[in-house]
Amino acid sequence: MALAGTIVLNEIQKRIILLWGYKFNFFTQMFMIGFIFVGISFFMAGGQPDPELLASGLVGYLVWFFALAAISDMSWGIREETQTGTLEQMYMSPLPTGVLMLGRSIASLFISILMVGISAVVLVLLLGISLPVTWSALPVFLLTMAGLYGFAFILGGATLVFKQVEALANLMQNALLFLNGALLPVDRLPGWMEAFAKTLPTTQGIIVLRRVILDGQSLTQAWQDGSVVELLINSTVYFVVGWFFFRWCENRARRMGALGQY
Amino acid sequence: MAAAIEIDGLSKIYTKRNGPAVVAVDNLSLSIPAGQIFGFLGSNGAGKTTTIKMACGLVLPTSGSVRLHGHDVQRQRGQAMRQIGAVLEGTRNVYWRLTAWQNLLYFGRIKGVAGKGLQERAERLLRELDLWERRNDPVRDFSRGMQQKVAIACALVADPPIVLLDEPTLGLDVQAGRTVKRWVEQLARNEGKTVVLTTHQMDLAESLCDRVAIMSQGKLLTNRPTGELLGLFRQETYELRFRGKIDEAITDRFDGFAAREENGHTILSGIISEHDRLYRLIEMAEMLGLELLGVAQAEPNLEEIFVELLDRAGKGESNLEQSLNGRGPTSTLREVV
Repeated sequence: MALAGTIVLNEIQKRIILLWGYKFNFFTQMFMIGFIFVGISFFMAGGQPDPELLASGLVGYLVWFFALAAISDMSWGIREETQTGTLEQMYMSPLPTGVLMLGRSIASLFISILMVGISAVVLVLLLGISLPVTWSALPVFLLTMAGLYGFAFILGGATLVFKQVEALANLMQNALLFLNGALLPVDRLPGWMEAFAKTLPTTQGIIVLRRVILDGQSLTQAWQDGSVVELLINSTVYFVVGWFFFRWCENRARRMGALGQY
Repeated sequence: MAAAIEIDGLSKIYTKRNGPAVVAVDNLSLSIPAGQIFGFLGSNGAGKTTTIKMACGLVLPTSGSVRLHGHDVQRQRGQAMRQIGAVLEGTRNVYWRLTAWQNLLYFGRIKGVAGKGLQERAERLLRELDLWERRNDPVRDFSRGMQQKVAIACALVADPPIVLLDEPTLGLDVQAGRTVKRWVEQLARNEGKTVVLTTHQMDLAESLCDRVAIMSQGKLLTNRPTGELLGLFRQETYELRFRGKIDEAITDRFDGFAAREENGHTILSGIISEHDRLYRLIEMAEMLGLELLGVAQAEPNLEEIFVELLDRAGKGESNLEQSLNGRGPTSTLREVV
């Protein structure tokens, strides 16, 4: 446990230093988070957004931003570290690589929480959005993130083997924005598209988060109506599949001698 | 002497879907004694880096094994990785946006070291490498030599008994190269570490390595103490002295010979292991209109031996190691000349 803690703190510390090293980029990204949300909300509401719909949109949008960060981290991030040779150095650690990868993911999530959290507070204050804080949302959020990082592991694994997966990463980022219910509730999509959208990571998470945060539903109620169970299944499948796919890709990259190739 | 690294029947074959298989390392077996500086020599594509990466667990072998102080890299990865630190060629190895100090602490923790011990070790390494005063500067602001020193320090931060350095002086200026060389020497002589280095700089390998292995096309040509290898060729190394300055286009025709100028004359030095070859060279010199002033024995250097061995391997000479073993001190051209 102490080892895991050290790894996570080590990664968080490194990421904060690197983030601060690119201050301009950091603040631009924060501005972008807010700007895009305001733009989309005004555009979709014909210039007069409803504060209640803003709250619902914000929940979905913030979750999408987490997806954006996780996918970037696992595709561009891994590719950059392959180029600099720091990924190979990580793989020379005596610690289990699985533990190191989990540590990296938790650190990545922490940084995303920092960025998204600050942006969310600014947006809530600026636009007068009512976004109740409830602890019941925490397990739902974590479960959503587990599925999301499982999905990101799939892209990370593909990066180790194929190197150039930016096009796929971009496609997935955009597909998630339009299909995970961040902008438009999935029940308004055509039947087949709704069914597909619900298989994506974060879609079910957004549905449950909205119910818990905005509709005041308790976790017990969400469990009883099956939405949390659906989320649990979705996230578990993504995490398990993503994890094993990543480990398989690691092994394949080692066989191909591709861990340090780019 | 106990072996730090034992490589047994190691092979790496890269298979491509629409192309021939590439044999990067072919049934390599060797043992590297602890506490020595071991040089891995070979031209590009010889299989040195692949071997190093298999020792680091970064490339999976097709067959065979690598053991680091008795720990199998594949089966006992954790234990094996505690035995090594490596600086790999062609990459930064460290985070340029972090300071030297931050890099050492980060990689120390990644390698399972933490707390006060890590800080003390990091400080010692930075002081030894004359980086202490600039420990809080980002590595990107450093010179190439300083960056390389940070990478080496990071490889050593967990105090591993084996250090693998892939082209450690590549791209360094003379001064930085000397610092790295001095430090590598100190690691083995004073701290008892086993240092494995790959290099194309034969003079560096000759002056630094206790033992060298020469590889070509994935195969091991020889693996001997440096002094012994030089000794084997001592009586076969000759200098051919010609009058005046000779054009490079002509000296290039003396395959495997290095040319230099001395007192207005041209000296070609190289290894001549067969009587016939010497006669052929003299005949060729006459045909080219060169005036031969004399032939003399000379001290061999690793570069000449390296060129000679690769040349023989290129000509398909099998059992090179066996033929080296069969060499006697009298099988020379001394009497001919």
